[in-house]
Amino acid sequence: MRLAAGTLPAIDRARNGTGPAAQSGPAADPTAPGPAADPTAPGPAAHAGPPAHAGPAAQSGPPAHAGPPAQSGPPAHAGPPADPTARGSASEPSLLPAVRPPEALYIHVPFCVSLCPYCDFVVVAGAATRGPRNRVTAFLAALRRELDLRADLADARWGTPGSLSRPPLGSLYFGGGTPSLLPGDEIAGIVEIVRLRFGLASGAEVTVESNPGPDERGDARALADAGVTRISFGAQALDDDTLRSLGRRHRARDVREAITDAREAGIASVSLDLLYDTPGGTLQAWVGTLDSALSLAPDHLSLYALTLDDPDAEGLTGPTGDHLPVARGARRWRADARARQDDDRAAAMYEHAVHRLAEAGFHGYEISNWALPGHESRHNLAYWERRPYEAVGPGAHAFDGAARRWNAARLDSYIAALTSPPGVSAQLPPGGTEAINPEASAAERIILGLRTSHGVSLSESTRQPLSDHFSWARDADLLSVTADDRIVLTTKGRLLSNELFSRLV
Amino acid sequence: MSIPQARLRNFSIIAHIDHGKSTLADRLLEATHAIDPRQMTSQVLDSMDLEREKGITIKARAVRLEYTANDGLVYGLNLIDTPGHVDFSYEVSRSLQACEGAILVVDAAQGIEAQTLANVHLALREGLTIVPVLNKIDLPSAQPDVVMEELESVLAIPREEVILASAKEGIGISEILEAIVARIPAPKGDPSLPLQALVFDSHYDQYKGVIVYVRLAQGTLRDHDRVRLMQSGAEADLLELGFFRPALVPVAEIHAGDVGYVATGLKNVREAQVGDTITSAVSPASEPLPGYQEAKSLVFAGIYPLSGEDYPLLRDAIEKLHLNDASFTYEPESSVALGFGFRCGFLGLLHMEIVQERLEREFNLDLIASAPSVEYQVVMTHGRGSITIDNPAHLPTISEIEAILEPWVLLSVVTPSTYIGPLMELSTNRRGSFIGLEYIDPVRVLMKFELPLAELIVDYFDQLKTRTAGYASMDYEEIGYRAANLVKLDVMVAGEPVDALSMIVHRDKSVAIGRTLAERLKQLIPRQMFEVPIQAAIGSNVIARESVRAMRKNVVAKCYGGDITRKRKLLEKQKEGKRRMKRVGSVEIPQEAFLAMLRTDEN
Repeated sequence: MRLAAGTLPAIDRARNGTGPAAQSGPAADPTAPGPAADPTAPGPAAHAGPPAHAGPAAQSGPPAHAGPPAQSGPPAHAGPPADPTARGSASEPSLLPAVRPPEALYIHVPFCVSLCPYCDFVVVAGAATRGPRNRVTAFLAALRRELDLRADLADARWGTPGSLSRPPLGSLYFGGGTPSLLPGDEIAGIVEIVRLRFGLASGAEVTVESNPGPDERGDARALADAGVTRISFGAQALDDDTLRSLGRRHRARDVREAITDAREAGIASVSLDLLYDTPGGTLQAWVGTLDSALSLAPDHLSLYALTLDDPDAEGLTGPTGDHLPVARGARRWRADARARQDDDRAAAMYEHAVHRLAEAGFHGYEISNWALPGHESRHNLAYWERRPYEAVGPGAHAFDGAARRWNAARLDSYIAALTSPPGVSAQLPPGGTEAINPEASAAERIILGLRTSHGVSLSESTRQPLSDHFSWARDADLLSVTADDRIVLTTKGRLLSNELFSRLV
Repeated sequence: MSIPQARLRNFSIIAHIDHGKSTLADRLLEATHAIDPRQMTSQVLDSMDLEREKGITIKARAVRLEYTANDGLVYGLNLIDTPGHVDFSYEVSRSLQACEGAILVVDAAQGIEAQTLANVHLALREGLTIVPVLNKIDLPSAQPDVVMEELESVLAIPREEVILASAKEGIGISEILEAIVARIPAPKGDPSLPLQALVFDSHYDQYKGVIVYVRLAQGTLRDHDRVRLMQSGAEADLLELGFFRPALVPVAEIHAGDVGYVATGLKNVREAQVGDTITSAVSPASEPLPGYQEAKSLVFAGIYPLSGEDYPLLRDAIEKLHLNDASFTYEPESSVALGFGFRCGFLGLLHMEIVQERLEREFNLDLIASAPSVEYQVVMTHGRGSITIDNPAHLPTISEIEAILEPWVLLSVVTPSTYIGPLMELSTNRRGSFIGLEYIDPVRVLMKFELPLAELIVDYFDQLKTRTAGYASMDYEEIGYRAANLVKLDVMVAGEPVDALSMIVHRDKSVAIGRTLAERLKQLIPRQMFEVPIQAAIGSNVIARESVRAMRKNVVAKCYGGDITRKRKLLEKQKEGKRRMKRVGSVEIPQEAFLAMLRTDEN
């Protein structure tokens, strides 16, 4: 809902109709911490930032692919237009039209200088990233090609950007990997393609993930000039010992410098990622980490418990899987780290964060995310609110309201599919799709909704799949009901959320 | 091809587990061309997945080999396979009764083991001719002289009779085949007398109905004969008869002394039970053959579906499995904690494990087995006689009990003499008494103990292996009931008594067992959303108390970007994990917790 006003009129109306309190606007105190506060309520700070695309570079010259957009006719499998009758009644927010045009776009940039042993994201490093045999240039060409092909499909399905049925994007997100490694003008070029082919709403959020190291964080001014409004720094820790033990390249002081650079460049929103429950971590050290983080005055904090899953065991790393196999060294590191994790310690760290960040004026608007008012990540909210999002790049995941789609993780096959000799049309990269059936859809809606402080409507307590679990979960103090009839997770409920969620799927 | 009785040989292979019985059987099959070497899978006779996985034979099989001996004549060799684990000595004795001879396989590196002795004694009791074979003589660690010395001194087997072999390398196979022909006597029995065929095994085939394995004592079986089972009274027209080679090969007639299979078309195995005698319905024999003693269940446990609604499926599954394995017993029972299920009796713990695994695999069920128990005799006060219970939950209140008697066994252990001390300690800790010790060779001894069976079924075998680096082997036989000062140990989880965890234990050990059980349950019950107290009590006296602390964190803190699919799959996996647990009251208890006392303590 923090998507810029006017971007999504129909959907906003439908959602605002869910209950009287949803329009609480001026009455809600946006600075009030605590799970009951509505993060999406517009507050005075919401529009405080400078205009997103103000930089001169944003208009500098034609986009890289200046030719006319591919007009080779609509693809054969273009989906049916949204069924207008599916537009729900005001009391049924779930009955939004299933298939809708994207409101956000994720771009996966799979390059890092080096690999971190705990990281599951699709990443290549070393010679693929830097040096004479790097794959960056080939990747960027392929990426532009995929953007074009996806845009062609969207045009055929929804009409061209700017038409009534094709609202511009409210968010663009460069994730990775380390997208800040890309030269500023490349980022600018991609932003321009997106603006042209998908539309970018006025005031849209444009995020770039960045590592704080001096040779990784890129040039903040160039990013700002490219139209970037938000930088999310992968700080992970704020003391050098922990950073080293996590295999990070940067040092604590780099984080302060990176933030200073971003501020000076006029980046409106700065976020830090921090990891807790790391091997060897203590509650005391975590208290210090959070205090240091707050002293850096970020606008947004993502606190992630170090999660050591095994994508190989989950069957995600095959030739068309959306993850890459885990290297042997990383596997050993994870096994060792897992043995040094502790749920009780992690819970204490989380509880401390809940209190400390509320004290500092941050709003825990999602299980792992805290923001100063107005700085909630619109992009991530789109995921949790099940808004449709497009996605490009290896391993990227998209959602159109009815089906989830992903690209395979392997960079080589990604580039190969999208790189074609003259006269031969490029192909979309390999990947997969999964239609979400009504039951799964209902479960996702509740699970993702409950991750946010906005929660779900009280009326869900009488509907499947929550109806079977609402009473015990409330009795067990996992759920509470706010004054404006929203069901939300308590702090205990957030910590134990999988106990509830695993019963809902 | 019909082979005259004088050229038939019926034999088994008896061996300690891992001494190479199945490999030898494979070689015999190859050498007699019963099987094409190119189609040879190892352990042909162990056709059950579980048998291959565990490397043991569970069900006896029979296979017909046709062997052209050095005298130029074709002999019919019926190899009747036998299980190799102590739990199945009942099946061994059944197989041996259908034979005139047995090949005794002894590992040339390991020497005589406890089961070797037990099986040889069984074979001698049946009057069988023994063909001793030293297997694995190709191993560098083989000590044929030492082991032949053992055979001579312990079993009075002259070393000249021993054949040196390596089934793996194919050494000695033709000598074994010649010895079978030369040493084992042909069967007897008049083919013209009225038919008497002993059923020594059976299984259910979905196309041919009940298939029974028979050994003909006298008379002749002919295709399409109408036959009668003398004990059940059932009659059937034979659909097919033949030999296992090892595929089913139909023949027109089977004569006295021979071994084969008969497809009866009967739909119910109870009508053609092991031990019954098949005769002709037209001109029946006057008497059935003596048959077998029924298998005696020694270990009892409740088997329950994880999900109550699967009870009808479990009932069907148990009935069907019983057709293939008549050696376990079952009857319906109900548990406060676990709902409706069956009380089953087993030949031993391995048998229990196998039955449970077969039910789960072959019938796709999720099951819980309660703590295993032996059968107790309870003498009631005021002269009200005595009752037998196999479920601790059924033990009467203390005031009604005059005495409790428990089954004892005579335990034979063969071990290197260096482990005498640890085994003495193990057995006396288990309330056992030492009976005697004899050296079977300069470094190995045969020890005998008397021991309550209840102490044996609780991880004794695992402990035996642990304390002797795997070198000791054991065998046991029942020796009757003895009185003991026994009490019932109850367990409460989150304040609720869990009857399926109750055990009958010796009073002197009750506190220690109660503490161990509570500690193990604490390890096995995963943390729940609330604290779960665990108490062990005797009567109203709580003797041990532990607590599973409340779970504090179960969250995917990271949402994997837009990859909602992965998160949902991880949640589905957690859900599946919960489905594998039994909800008792408000607590999710995993299957393993009910077998907590069977786990070997790591210390």
